[in-house]
Amino acid sequence: MHSNLQTVVIISIFALCYLYYTARETARQQLDIYDLIMLSTVAIIPSAFVLFPRLAEHLARLAGVAFPFVIMFGALFAILFIFIHRLTAKIHRLERDNRLLIQEVSLLKANEMLDSKAHHQQRPQGASGEK
Amino acid sequence: MNKPRVLLIIPCFNEQESIEALLREISSLREGYSTVVVDDGSKDSTYEKAAQLSPTIRLLINLGIGGAVQTGIRYAATNGFDFCVQIDGDGQHPPSEISKLLNAHKESPCSIMIGSRYLLNDSFRSTLARRFGSKAIAWSLNTLFKRCNITDPTSGMRLMDRAAIEFFARSYPHDFPEPISLAWALQEGLTVRECAVQMRSRNNGQSSIAGWKPIAYMLRVLGYIVLARVVGFKSR
Repeated sequence: MHSNLQTVVIISIFALCYLYYTARETARQQLDIYDLIMLSTVAIIPSAFVLFPRLAEHLARLAGVAFPFVIMFGALFAILFIFIHRLTAKIHRLERDNRLLIQEVSLLKANEMLDSKAHHQQRPQGASGEK
Repeated sequence: MNKPRVLLIIPCFNEQESIEALLREISSLREGYSTVVVDDGSKDSTYEKAAQLSPTIRLLINLGIGGAVQTGIRYAATNGFDFCVQIDGDGQHPPSEISKLLNAHKESPCSIMIGSRYLLNDSFRSTLARRFGSKAIAWSLNTLFKRCNITDPTSGMRLMDRAAIEFFARSYPHDFPEPISLAWALQEGLTVRECAVQMRSRNNGQSSIAGWKPIAYMLRVLGYIVLARVVGFKSR
């Protein structure tokens, strides 16, 4: 089983463009290194199967799967699932931190206002030496 | 023995019609309660009205009832209050009933004293779906947790002692906070009791849990309660 040149060229161009784009985003710190590694698999896995077509067959035989493409989609799905799971946990953590931060800022602002109110109320008593 | 310092936490969202009357009613009791109003990002003049009569915290954006109540609890924790009592800003919880919670706590100390609408089952009436949802949640809490006998897990009128204040200042649920906070507290080993209180019907506005929502609310809450019991809860 061989991949034809057309497929190799198309997949390689896609993989290179995609890897360049994600690497550039990572360099700008729009993504972190972990995201780069996970997202890169979207380009690396199809490229590996196109460049080494027998790999899918061997893996399919090992896994007892009838169709080699199931292995490729299975691997992609597993990686994306891990990625999405991690992102969901991260969003919830950020949401919680955001909530605590909003509470903290609101409490600080309220305390500041109460302090200034108390200060204004105490001013007339200042003459008696009370603070 | 010194009189305990009690803070009334009043979470509000667009309660301009009722907040002023509620705060005046509290001050007319002359019980010496401190108050803090937590304005959960209201679009109306709730903050302006409340700030004239009570210390008021304005949340920068709407965090929901859980975030608002936790802000009040954190205020109580920072300012060293012995007890805090959560009451709604819509006037449903008569301030005169707060003394019942304090007296019940004195007779039978616990970490959380819930003001129950259903304990005496006398005057309070709500929709069938709401009562069914509340009963199912109460049943699940009473079944899953030992030493728990709750009739009104969704009541927003509750007293918390110092242990509960410190616990909830660290961790408080933001979704469906009333019943889930009970599950978290019970899992943490805090004690929860109830005493009967009277509640009024809403003066203004509408409940956000109407129509079929109580059923969806109940199912989600039951899921969280079972998870808290089975998987456990670890406070941060």
